[in-house]
Amino acid sequence: MTGSATGDAPVVLVTGASSGIGAATARRFAAAGYRVAIGFHRGEAAAERVAAETGGRSYGADVADADAVARMVGAVEVELGPIAVAVCNAGFYEERPLAEVTDDLWTRTLRVHLGGCFHVARAVVSGMRDRGDGSIVTVASELALIGGEEVAHYVAAKAAILGFTRALAREVAPRIRANAVAPGAVDTPLLPDRDRGPGYTDTLPLRRIGRPAEVAEVIFTLAEARWCTGATWAINGGAAIQ
Amino acid sequence: MSAAAGPPPGRIALVTGAAGGLGAAIVETLARGGWTVVGATHVGGEWAADLGAPGAAAGLVARVVARYRRLDLLVANHATMAMGAVDDVDPADWWRIVDVNLGGSFHLARAAAPALRDAGGSITFIASEWGITGWPGATAYAASKAGLIGLTKALARELAPAVRVNALAPGVVDTPQLRVDAGAAGVSLDEIRRRYAAAAPLLRIAQPAEIAEGVAFLAGPGGAYYTGQVLSPNGGTTLA
Repeated sequence: MTGSATGDAPVVLVTGASSGIGAATARRFAAAGYRVAIGFHRGEAAAERVAAETGGRSYGADVADADAVARMVGAVEVELGPIAVAVCNAGFYEERPLAEVTDDLWTRTLRVHLGGCFHVARAVVSGMRDRGDGSIVTVASELALIGGEEVAHYVAAKAAILGFTRALAREVAPRIRANAVAPGAVDTPLLPDRDRGPGYTDTLPLRRIGRPAEVAEVIFTLAEARWCTGATWAINGGAAIQ
Repeated sequence: MSAAAGPPPGRIALVTGAAGGLGAAIVETLARGGWTVVGATHVGGEWAADLGAPGAAAGLVARVVARYRRLDLLVANHATMAMGAVDDVDPADWWRIVDVNLGGSFHLARAAAPALRDAGGSITFIASEWGITGWPGATAYAASKAGLIGLTKALARELAPAVRVNALAPGVVDTPQLRVDAGAAGVSLDEIRRRYAAAAPLLRIAQPAEIAEGVAFLAGPGGAYYTGQVLSPNGGTTLA
């Protein structure tokens, strides 16, 4: 149904949608008839391409900035319509030993990952509440479940997203749902080359890294799973069977 | 705790949030078990530190190591808490909770890691049941405490084998913090105690000393093979 979405179609906002899991998620929602808002920060040209491909529109905002996110949400709701689903996906990945995680890197990691969820949620919740319906999906990481070396800042931020999502789910119920996904190693620009080879993939029960579209499928299903809230759906090739 | 279960003489523990109900119990329990305990607070005294401020954690750890020449145990217990609806709270207030609880603990751990590595020591982060279950009106607090559980697992991997890193995720503890919850719920202190107690299979809330025993256990010989783990003294509220 790409390109056929009408003014009556539900609207999804996907942050970090210029590439990787976010772009795949935008495509998946578009295929189901949603009007898609492509949130981006630096990848404007790529975001424009995803928008063209999905019949959506791109919106630039640094999700670490609460006011910028509020403005983005306002623009989406004026131009595309009320946001039915928000997918909080924006993030970045940078490995650093503990001693080298600077104050700036720590703060930036928290503000982008956790802030990207909090700032979006605070901007969309009141409208969803007024309309009596809404769904929020946050994107965490398998590392939030099992930890990892030289990524303490990233793991802390991603694990914080899980706690945030659970509290949010309780707070905004029963009309609005909030859930998280925890993807493992996925073939996106963020994935280190090290994790693409057999040295890593042979440790996975399913013996391969994931495809963005596979994670997008889970995000889409979770967003529409109407009896599901406060959940974390792990999708990782078996990396974190627990 | 018997003296036999305690550390060798001269082992140094740094406990943050020592002015609070739980922190004071941790200080007392560790001291009784033979630890030399530095209790840091945000309210003054020799070891005062506002752990939400940049550099405060590093400064505190540096003062402890300068005084005692070693550090064997970090118990990051400090926390701040306020209730507020996710779409109504001032973002600055929301972030203050995350920055103190999670950021302050991270900065303590980063600053303490070299001394803990030298000593073969350990870290215990005080998380919370709400980091696991969430709670309406507590998105920042739940995020900060869940973040501590993630931090526990990451640092357990990264600092092994020299340093063990674990967390405690207590349920409701009988501390002055309950007044905040009672105020938010608009009920009396006794009523909030009764409600929380009724929600736990053990039909009561915890006493601070019970949680402190868990801290002493993880830091002592009984905890020597634990790392990256979360103990959940909560009366059974998170049975799953």
